[in-house]
Amino acid sequence: MNVTNPSIRNPSIRVVVGPGAPEEGSPGRQQAESPQPSRVSTPPIDIHEGPDGLILEADLPGATDKDLFVQLEDNVLSLRAHVQSPVPQSARPIHEEFSVGDFHRSFILSDEVDRDRITAELKNGVLRLILPRADRARSRRIEIRS
Amino acid sequence: MSGVPWQNRWDPLRELQREVGRLFDGLDGLPALRHLRPYPPINVHDEGEGYVLTAQLPGVCADEVELTITGETLTMRGERKRPEGVKDDSYRRQERLVGRWSRTITLPDRVDSTQVTASFSNGILIVRIPKAEGAKPRHITVATGG
Repeated sequence: MNVTNPSIRNPSIRVVVGPGAPEEGSPGRQQAESPQPSRVSTPPIDIHEGPDGLILEADLPGATDKDLFVQLEDNVLSLRAHVQSPVPQSARPIHEEFSVGDFHRSFILSDEVDRDRITAELKNGVLRLILPRADRARSRRIEIRS
Repeated sequence: MSGVPWQNRWDPLRELQREVGRLFDGLDGLPALRHLRPYPPINVHDEGEGYVLTAQLPGVCADEVELTITGETLTMRGERKRPEGVKDDSYRRQERLVGRWSRTITLPDRVDSTQVTASFSNGILIVRIPKAEGAKPRHITVATGG
């Protein structure tokens, strides 16, 4: 897959670069204004180095494009997702191993990221973020003259 | 051969990053506990007419899950493959589980195993299992004595 292909850039996932609070009706807001304390879980993530930068994958089962919020401010990357229960409220739980609510995670990226070329894709409940390395953060070979 | 392995790139910062990552893994990820938890996590709800089983299976496609029902015992199995072309040493963080998994769950009441339906929605497997005729709740009209 060509990671720089703009066709995988998903315009419906809100990726905010720089400061800014989640917009009205976004997952972050819903969490703050919800009358019931929603359960927040920490999604497991993988980060690996690709040829052009970092690739981050997060397991967000149940999340949809419209309820996902990704923000990169300075070097802090935060992910928020609000998940709707697929089961009607009237159903009686008889066995529970996971809670349905919100996902939240934030962490510090050590590398400089080219903010203009970040791409996000959500497929089958897995978020894949491609964070291309900024040119000046790329390693450069220094010639030593004898 | 003894001595310092000069052929390897000396990269003390990378080593430090790896150690810090390991330290944090021990604190917030608690991978030891994570492995004790059953995978995939399952919820079961009683909807009256039947049971709804939901399982968190992010990144899994419908054809990668094998679902069988024998009497009241439901078994699901599958495999989450590691991504192709990603070298182990390119990972900075790896928390998402890979490998073969299977789960078996026994439902608390008699079900109609011929009417079971299953679907995938954003990384959540939803299995609807109707109860057998005799196990469904039945409304009894109380006649007024005359």
